[in-house]
Amino acid sequence: MNDPYQILNIPPTATDEEVKRAYRDLARKYHPDNYHDNPLADLAQEKMKEINEAYDQIQKQRKASSAASQSYSYGYADPGRSYGGSYYDNNSYGASRLQQVRAAVNRGDISLAERLLSGVSEHDAEWNFLMGVVCSRRGWLDEARRYLETAVQMEPGNPEYRSALASLTGSGYRPDGFRTFHTANFDENACLRCCAAWSCCTLFSGGGCYLIPC
Amino acid sequence: MFGYVRPSQNRLSAHDEELFESVYCGLCHELGRKYGFSARFVLNFDFTFLAILLSEAGEPECASCRCIAHPCRARCVMTHAQSLETAADHSIVLAWWQLRDHIADHGLFRSLPYRLASLFLRRAYRKARSCAPSFDEAVQRHLAELSACERECCASVDRAAEPFAALMADMAAVVPDGPRRRVMAELFYHLGRWIYLVDAADDLKKDFASGCYNPLRYRYALTSGELDEKTRQEVALLLDLSVHRMADAYALLERGAWSNILDSIFYESLYGIGNAVLNGTYHKPPRRIHFRIKQEKIEETV
Repeated sequence: MNDPYQILNIPPTATDEEVKRAYRDLARKYHPDNYHDNPLADLAQEKMKEINEAYDQIQKQRKASSAASQSYSYGYADPGRSYGGSYYDNNSYGASRLQQVRAAVNRGDISLAERLLSGVSEHDAEWNFLMGVVCSRRGWLDEARRYLETAVQMEPGNPEYRSALASLTGSGYRPDGFRTFHTANFDENACLRCCAAWSCCTLFSGGGCYLIPC
Repeated sequence: MFGYVRPSQNRLSAHDEELFESVYCGLCHELGRKYGFSARFVLNFDFTFLAILLSEAGEPECASCRCIAHPCRARCVMTHAQSLETAADHSIVLAWWQLRDHIADHGLFRSLPYRLASLFLRRAYRKARSCAPSFDEAVQRHLAELSACERECCASVDRAAEPFAALMADMAAVVPDGPRRRVMAELFYHLGRWIYLVDAADDLKKDFASGCYNPLRYRYALTSGELDEKTRQEVALLLDLSVHRMADAYALLERGAWSNILDSIFYESLYGIGNAVLNGTYHKPPRRIHFRIKQEKIEETV
């Protein structure tokens, strides 16, 4: 196994507090919620497993002398959990077609899921939810949002639909030092400084990169 | 490509700025070295960004040199690297097909500047095509899909953005097979999507005036080139979703020396640029697609 300190990106001399902070930051970064219905979910899951193991190993090394080693995980992720696992479970409709869709989504076979969905005539909340999931996997985020919103509207009490919509529109991970920006309410002053300054400074001090090729 | 992507300057240290500049200049030199002087005009920020993403995570090799645009102060220029060569090949291919697209879209007289530019670019294109044949083929295919979408006035932004996004994702084909290629393809897909949508928002007024297809117009059933507050929020959310996907993919990459520049792009400046475009406060650098400027001049004289 690789050096656990390297995985957490800290020196071996780091204090317990620093180890914890590094672990927490990385766990926030690769948290499954950030990769809900994302085609890269499996890679994030691997990363999560890696840092969980690294943290575990460091804790074990450090607590080797103490009798009871504490539970290590903050509950960020259960490495064994399959992302789409829940799609199998709470199928309350007994509709075998939609079950097949869930199975196809879990296997990552998005085009099959799409074909199956287009053959279903009844567009209930679950159908809308699954369409949202399929669109999200494909990167068709506008339609994904609309389908998920419809699913939530049709069945406001369903936690699965709500959490899928919440993680699609959530703001995701930002490293320390970066505020949660949005396109809609970006701090205009800061923005103008960065955008305008870049072109002006380069134009006047950098020597006309934009006017003539450099 | 449209040149929207650039880092927030207030996030960069002097060293990071120099790094960014070295790639920008490095790409320009690479274009000149491989394709001749006129090819240097296709240089833009988006391909600089692409070259950074394709670069090795370590500190790049730089040489100090002067050029026609910087005759006094010698600049640090990234020396020949695979990532620069790839970015150069791809930018020539894409610029060429965009020119052909413009020529097809405009009448004989209006397309003159594009014809002229394509004359200068023809030799470079032929060479680039032989260096990146599969990308050349992919660009043609995706641009054909895009024109089909435009012809039928497609009301789905996802479908309209798909060809350009997929075209960008195809650039990841140069990365060796494996998880890194998957991450890059996802990142490039959403980068392409974001660029396409930002460009659509930016051109909305112009497209209304000229009657050209604009996906936002049909998606939100707009009646004028101005976005009302509600639609503006909707479009902003649409851009946010793509930036989040890019950031999620980026989190899975090892970026080493480039991490400051890329952090500032993915976690800050993309939001700022989107915001400025939606508020109409985004000012394009003067040489953003210089072919277009020429065209505007001609329109003025007509």
